[in-house]
Amino acid sequence: MSRFIVRRFLSVIPTFLIIVTLSFFLIRLAPGGPFAREKKIPPEILANIMHKYHMDEPLINQYFRYVGDVLHFDLGPSFRYKDHTVNELLGAAFPVSITLGVVSLGLAVFFGTLVGIISALRQNKWQDYAAMSVAVLGISIPLFVVGPILMLVFALKLKWLPTSGWINSRAGWTTIIMPSMTLMLPYFAYIARMSRGSIIEVLRSDYVRTARAKGLKETVVIRKHVLKGAMLPIVTYLGPAFSGIITGSVVVEQIFVVPGIGKIFVQSALNRDYTVIMGDVIVYSIILITANFVVDILYGLLDPRISYK
Amino acid sequence: MPTLAKKNDKVVNEFNQYVKPVSLWADAWKRLRRNRMAVIGMWIVGIYMVVIFGAALLPFKSYTEQQMLHVNLPPSFKPAGLVAMGQLEKRKSDLTTAIEKSGRVDLKTDLVRIEAEIIQLKGDIDANPVHKRVYIFGTDYLGRDMLARTIYGGQISILIGLIGTLTAAVIGIVLGALGGYLGGWLDNLIGRFVDIMYSLPYMLVVIIIMSMLPTGSNSIFVLFIAIAMISWLTISRVVRGQIISLKNSEFVEAARSMGAGTGRIIFRHLLPNSLSIIIIYATLQFPSFIMSESFLSFLGLGVSAPLASWGTLVSEGVQGMQLYPWRLLVPAITMTVFLFAMNFLGDGLRDALDPQSKNRS
Amino acid sequence: MTDDVILQVKDLKAYFKLDEGLLKAVDGVSFDLRKGETLGIVGESGSGKSVTNLAIMRLIPSPPGRIAGGEVEFMGKDILKMSEEEVRKIRGNKISMIFQDPMTCLNPFLRISTQMVETIVLHQGLDKKAAKDKAIEMLKLAGIPAPEKRIDQYPHQFSGGMRQRVMIAMALSCEPEILIADEPTTALDVTIQAQILELINDLSARLGTAVILITHSLGVVAGMCDAICVMYAGRIVERGNADEIFADPKHPYTQGLIKSVPRLDKISTQRLYSIPGQPPNVINLPDCCPFFPRCERAMDVCKTKYPKVAELSAKRSVACWLYGEGK
Repeated sequence: MSRFIVRRFLSVIPTFLIIVTLSFFLIRLAPGGPFAREKKIPPEILANIMHKYHMDEPLINQYFRYVGDVLHFDLGPSFRYKDHTVNELLGAAFPVSITLGVVSLGLAVFFGTLVGIISALRQNKWQDYAAMSVAVLGISIPLFVVGPILMLVFALKLKWLPTSGWINSRAGWTTIIMPSMTLMLPYFAYIARMSRGSIIEVLRSDYVRTARAKGLKETVVIRKHVLKGAMLPIVTYLGPAFSGIITGSVVVEQIFVVPGIGKIFVQSALNRDYTVIMGDVIVYSIILITANFVVDILYGLLDPRISYK
Repeated sequence: MPTLAKKNDKVVNEFNQYVKPVSLWADAWKRLRRNRMAVIGMWIVGIYMVVIFGAALLPFKSYTEQQMLHVNLPPSFKPAGLVAMGQLEKRKSDLTTAIEKSGRVDLKTDLVRIEAEIIQLKGDIDANPVHKRVYIFGTDYLGRDMLARTIYGGQISILIGLIGTLTAAVIGIVLGALGGYLGGWLDNLIGRFVDIMYSLPYMLVVIIIMSMLPTGSNSIFVLFIAIAMISWLTISRVVRGQIISLKNSEFVEAARSMGAGTGRIIFRHLLPNSLSIIIIYATLQFPSFIMSESFLSFLGLGVSAPLASWGTLVSEGVQGMQLYPWRLLVPAITMTVFLFAMNFLGDGLRDALDPQSKNRS
Repeated sequence: MTDDVILQVKDLKAYFKLDEGLLKAVDGVSFDLRKGETLGIVGESGSGKSVTNLAIMRLIPSPPGRIAGGEVEFMGKDILKMSEEEVRKIRGNKISMIFQDPMTCLNPFLRISTQMVETIVLHQGLDKKAAKDKAIEMLKLAGIPAPEKRIDQYPHQFSGGMRQRVMIAMALSCEPEILIADEPTTALDVTIQAQILELINDLSARLGTAVILITHSLGVVAGMCDAICVMYAGRIVERGNADEIFADPKHPYTQGLIKSVPRLDKISTQRLYSIPGQPPNVINLPDCCPFFPRCERAMDVCKTKYPKVAELSAKRSVACWLYGEGK
């Protein structure tokens, strides 16, 4: 088992390096620099600034210098907000996005499996049709449609929920309701469909037939024999689901003005603030890689066919 | 020996049971037709396609024409002139009440202006034929017809989706088939590449790419490439899996023994047998492509003006949504219904072509 | 019911409603099982042999299947009329069933101990420790080495033959009256097949369990069974003692089956015999003898009416017009 963990960890490193390298060169090679948008700067001052940020060196040197800095957890200064370092900017925003992401994922898993189980047990009855139609709807409505509509209805018209802000503001935890509902919707739907299909398949399996043939009550069969195996594919899905949630959070943070990494990301992309974009990409990558890693390990622990080799 | 006879032009065996010749496609079509939701999906998608692509022939107004007299009109079956008048009257009465309640004198100038507009409209309303138009879906902030804009946005979104899906499918099929059939270092290389691409925070890279473009350039090409670059991954994996399971079958051995080369075997034997699974994944990829494109357009990183896709329209609608909710709801609902129908159709196709796959979502 | 008959199946019918029509998987099956007897049910795939036994245990998946008629008398009561709770008390306890593929029949996510203990605790009311001891004992009887250690393992850690032994141990742990074995050796290697059959024979003799052995192989049946039922297209076409049937098969299908078994004692230069044709499509089958297209001795009446069952003796019967109407 521990070999499994170590192996997984090692495979993560090259991926990470590729992401960093790819992003670095993509960003630097783009036309227009961080200072191109500002009002005309006299050439000597521009040269000075470039020198200060090492931007007059060959690109390769800049790259290695950057990697070195990253390994020291120094993501550099922001080009745009001259008083702040990237670490500061992202440091404040990071826990916000993580919280939003985890809450959304948690809601998606909880409600998704619940609805999936109910649907599977009432297959082809009205509960099943209703639930699955809602699920297809959930997959079909884009994030950026759900978000504004929720805001329109609940915040602007009914005035039940705040339109923006985060937990530390006056509105408190109610600010997290709409963003997380928006983010979790497609993943809740996917998980509901997936768990329904998985349970139905397990219900048809030979080992469930054996369990029934032993005289076990149907509730015991479901609780003890069906659920464990049926839920395993959901664990595999958690990785891509979290990835999607992180991506979606970019838009959701815009719409609901949540002070997370996503907002900074879009802003810095438009501003060509190199170091912040890079910092963002690195942080996102670490989040995703860690999430996938954790999910892999979790799966290995839960499936006895892997943990007892 | 069992004999088959013909009865009423259908084949019958010795028990007088009809022996139906079964082809994969006929079977699948029958199964699809029995799935009510999929059929509804098919109809809806069909109607959309006809309306959207036949728009040139249908009596819709132009989507670019800006009509400043008809700015921000709500949806209505009444002629535009009356609707505009209604808007003005409402604003006048709102202002009047506001002035009385709060005693703000500065608003009086606005009131005067509105009254002047009302008078001008009254004079114009019968003279100018423009006021006889009916805007079923209302207008936007530049007086453009929402119905026309939505249809036009549909053209863009669906076209991007179709072409993108086709591109992704072609790339995916070629790489998947080559890797699956030839195996070895090529397969390993492609496989590693796919793995790495999968673990990238992909959309983010796309966002970076799109935002790096010099403003005003024609982004649609890059948009395609960027989104297509990730969409082919799933199809290639699926095709590869299918090819691998088929490549050791007897019909392939037979073809090989007759001297067929790699290319011929792949294109004339293996791929046609993988067709059903390719169709399934392509149908599921299509709405996903539309979503990705509109996601980017919403952020302002997708198609750029003057082109407008559903995503762009929703984005514009969000900006005015408190006062003019139809500007958000019309494109939003139109797009959602289309994706909804496509998803049901895709589900139905999957059940029809591959009934064993009840598990996968 | 005579003293030693413990199971009486009378005119059992199980139908499945499919899109293509009504599938009469079992259409009027009757047989008796005596205490300690080994009964073999022989038939091709699709003959209804498995469905018959699922019907006895009321394990037919309810849409699309249903039990359409008949009685199954066991210990004085009709299983088909019992409440769900009463049936559950019988399953795994008085009547146990083992299935074909031991790979898929054990829950891969639970330990063997969990899966065995739950049955014993449920039916015999022992506490977990005592139940586990009993389970270990059964595993030992079934020939599993080091059972105290292996019982805590997962199914994938056992080989195919071992897994079937576990299934047998699990099925016999409550010492049932009847063990139904549905093609227990079909998925196993030939060498292991003999071992497993011997194990079933051995344990059932030791515990006094009657066995219903479902199979498509006459070879299996010859070695093990006291009585045989031959099934075709959802009905029993011939029934009787194993010795009698092998010595003097009456139904043309049975004759065909026996003729197709290659024999070592007869060196023949002729081709191996096989019954011509295919088993019928049982959906919407008309009223006739379903074997007639493949029968060398088919008569006109065979094409129009299902044969009346001819009781040749107390235990022997055939469903064939060759023997009907006092011929």
